[in-house]
Formats: sequence, structure tokens, C-alpha cells
Amino acid sequence: MNHPPKLQVNNLTVNFGNLMAVNNVSLEVYPGEIAGLIGPNGAGKTTTFNAITGLIIPSSGKVFFNGHDITGMLPHKICRLGMSRTFQVIKAFAHMTVEETVRVGAYNRCNEKNVYKKVDQIIKLCDLADLRDKLCSDLGLAILRRVELARALATEPEMLLLDETGAGLNQTELLSFMDLLRKINMEYSITLLVVEHVMQMVMGVCSRIVVLDSGEVIATGNPESISTNPKVIEAYLGKRVPQCY
Amino acid sequence: MLDMTVQSIITGLMMGVIYALITLGISIVFGVLNVVNFAHGDFVMFSMYLSYMIGTALVWDAVQTPLITIPVLFIFGFIVYYLIIDRTLRQMYVVQLAVTVGLQIFMRSMALIIWKAQPRALQYSIIQGNIQIGPYTILTSRLVAAIISLIFIAGIAWFLNKSWAGSAMRAASDDLDMASLVGVNYRRTYALTFAIGSALTAVAGGLLMSFQQTDPVGGIRFGFLSWCVLALAGLGSIPGLIISGMIVGVAETVTITFFDPRSRLLVIYGIFILVLWFKPRGLFGRK
Repeated sequence: MNHPPKLQVNNLTVNFGNLMAVNNVSLEVYPGEIAGLIGPNGAGKTTTFNAITGLIIPSSGKVFFNGHDITGMLPHKICRLGMSRTFQVIKAFAHMTVEETVRVGAYNRCNEKNVYKKVDQIIKLCDLADLRDKLCSDLGLAILRRVELARALATEPEMLLLDETGAGLNQTELLSFMDLLRKINMEYSITLLVVEHVMQMVMGVCSRIVVLDSGEVIATGNPESISTNPKVIEAYLGKRVPQCY
Repeated sequence: MLDMTVQSIITGLMMGVIYALITLGISIVFGVLNVVNFAHGDFVMFSMYLSYMIGTALVWDAVQTPLITIPVLFIFGFIVYYLIIDRTLRQMYVVQLAVTVGLQIFMRSMALIIWKAQPRALQYSIIQGNIQIGPYTILTSRLVAAIISLIFIAGIAWFLNKSWAGSAMRAASDDLDMASLVGVNYRRTYALTFAIGSALTAVAGGLLMSFQQTDPVGGIRFGFLSWCVLALAGLGSIPGLIISGMIVGVAETVTITFFDPRSRLLVIYGIFILVLWFKPRGLFGRK
């Protein structure tokens, strides 16, 4: 990778009181790639996301986006620079329709005149045309994941951070969601950083994976090397006891 | 007897729409900022005095005065937001409560100092007179006030549904973190919401001055009234807000007609308590 990284995280540390949630994490995401961030529960993946997108201010360390220092910047300003995200838990605007939800995101780059054109385009891309006038509170999980992706896409990001978008989806839903991710990555050249528990999705879409455990990076590499890395296996399954049988 | 009942219901319905307009301000502020503005009634009182001053100085009619008081109250709302409310957002509820109650007392005391305790009213309104339909009388001033209120309520409903700022306000109300992550500037949205809530009291103040007088303690009355209407309506439904305003308005006038005028607050708070008891989310409140 000769390009300068799209997202560069340097020695990021987040403390909650005495709890070291993220400890000295450094990672890079390069333009155009789909990078994965994995790790067991409580490894600090979501906290890392929160610190990158401005929801929490890191205790120390720096975050650079396109070379700009965005550490501690307000979320809407980071969004204006071209980075948006989704959440592990559904955070749809419950009292708004699908179209209105997407429109909120679209106003990031559009004005009243061209906002509907953008909304139409995004709704078509995410295959939500039949549901555009439905209230978000009436929709199911798999569809809300797409609505959330649509809302983030409507802000016209250069980079998207997706937090466990595969969680709770069945096999068909998962495959179509993976297709959608590949499509936005290829056709719209949006760089993706995905946190994921569903290994099928991580191995299927990511070109490079960073593994976190207890707030620290324990491995970085391509899917094949990660899946055979002893440290990663240990983090997920525990240490192998040699004399056991 | 029947005539009297129908007559008081007609009057009550028209007052109810103005109550709904006043409550709309407190409702959007509560819905979006999650702050109950206990000084909201005193904003109405302040608007009424401004209308009185403008009406006397420029010899304008009360219903014209919002042309000036709307921008004044809008800016006043911005100032109050950035000066006071913004700092309390991440604090405990009790801090917000103390701050808005403090603002209420401050505004009332300032009104007492500036305008003294004596009630003030404007001379005659151009919309004096009444419309006679059979045995029933409709006061033109109230009718005009009700119609203008409805127009403003509809305007706000349109604004919330269709405009950029309105979408941002509703998104911030549903999930603030998520709204900021897709580009909504929360401080600007909050300030705008508060300023609009404040500007709505300017409309109500001008309309009320066309048939009522104002006094420094009148703010409490409108404050309480708007909480009652809000409790009845719940958050999120504008038609529900109008109906709830009408229920309170009718309850008020019917009490005045058939019981003691002094007992009208008793009936209104009776409704308030019953609603909080049996339907804490209001009759039309969203989930």
C-alpha cells in the first residue's frame, strides 16, 4: 500500500475510570479497502469506533482522517469531512419514515432543491423503495440495518464505519448485505472499516483484519493469516493446555 | 341551559386553539431538548407586555404586534438558550429545573419592576364585535385568534415534516448521537428549537392581547395551562395537541359558566392529575 492511509489511529487510549477500555491502539485503513476489526466481547471495538467518530474523547492518542487531525472533534464536523457510521444496536429514528430518515443524512451535502434526488438514489441503491413511507418503528431488524446504512450513505461519506451490521441476520439477509457492502465499496469507492462477530462476513468481505483483545491490537493481517494465528485463536478460545490428554 | 352549554363550548374551543399554540412551544422544546421550560408561561407574559408597549407606542392593533414581537422573542430565545440552557444539558434534571424556575422568577420580577403590578390592556382591537349565529355569539377577536393560531400550528407541522431544520429537530429528538453522526449540528438545532418555541409565545401573546389584559403574575397561569395541555396530549402528535387544548379550553369555560369562575383552575388541575394518573403518556402520546 503506497497510498497514505485514509484513517490513521495513533496510540489511541480510552480510560473509563480505572478501566482501560482501549490501550495504545494503532491502526491504519487505506483508501478503497474493506478492513475488519474483530475481537472477543469487551475487546474495545465499539469504544474504538466511538473515539474515532467523536462520540467520546480519547484519554490520549490521535486520530487522523485524510491527514486531518480529528481527535475530539464534534461528530457532525467529522461527518462533514466524510466519515459516518452505524451502530451495533439499532439507532433508527423511530418516529420518522424511511424516506425522512434518509433525508436527514442527505442534508449533510444537499440543499432543499437536490435533496430528494439524492434520497431517491440512495433508497434505490439500498433496495428500500417499497418501504419509503413506512415508520422505522414498524420495521424489522434486517430492514433497519439497511435503513441505517442508507442514512449513513446519504451523507456521501468517503469512509464508513460499520458496527456489527451482520448481527442477527439470517443466511439470505447476510449474503445480500455482504453484496451491498461490496457494491458500495466498488462502485462508490467508499472505504469501509467493519466491526464484526459473524466470521463468514469478516472472511468474506474484508481484505485486511485487525484483531483486538482486552483493548490491545494482537494481530494484523489478511483473513487467512488471521484465522491461523495462534494468538488470535488463544484470544477467542483460551490457551491450549499441552498435557491435557 | 342547552344554549348556555353550546355557547360555552364554542368559546372554549376557540380558547383551546390558542392554548394549543402556547403548548406547541413547550412541546417541541421538551420533545427535542428533553428540557421542560418552566418559564414558558412567562415568555407568554413577556410577549403580552411587548405587544402592549408596541401597541401603545405605534398605535398598532394587538394582532399586528407579532410582526415585531416574533423576531424579538426569536432572538430572545436564542440568547436564553446559549446563555442558560446550553450549559445545563449534560447536567441532572434538577439543574435544568432550577435554572428554568429561576428564569421564571427573574422574568416575573423584572416585569414587576418595569411595568408595576397594575394590569395593562390595549385600547380597542379592530377585530371587536361578534358574529351571531342563531342564539350563539362568536366573539370575532377570539375567532380571529383561533384561526391565526391554527395557521401557525399548521406552519410548524409543515416545517417539522418538510424542511431541513425540521428534519434535524425530529432526528435529534429521536436519537441525538445518531443525528450528530449523520451531520446534524446539535447545538444549532437545539438553539433553533428553543428560539422557535419562544417565537410561538410572541404569536400567542399578540393574539391574547386582542381580548385580554396582562399582569406580571399571569405567566404562571399560562405555564400551568400549557403543562396541563401537554400532559393531556403527550409528545409527538400535533392534531392531538389541538384536541387537548380544546378539551382544556372547554373544561375551563364550562366551569366558568356553570360553577364558580374561581374554580376553573381546580377543574384544569383535576384533569391534569387524572391524566398523569391513568395515562401518563397522554391521550395521543407516542410510544
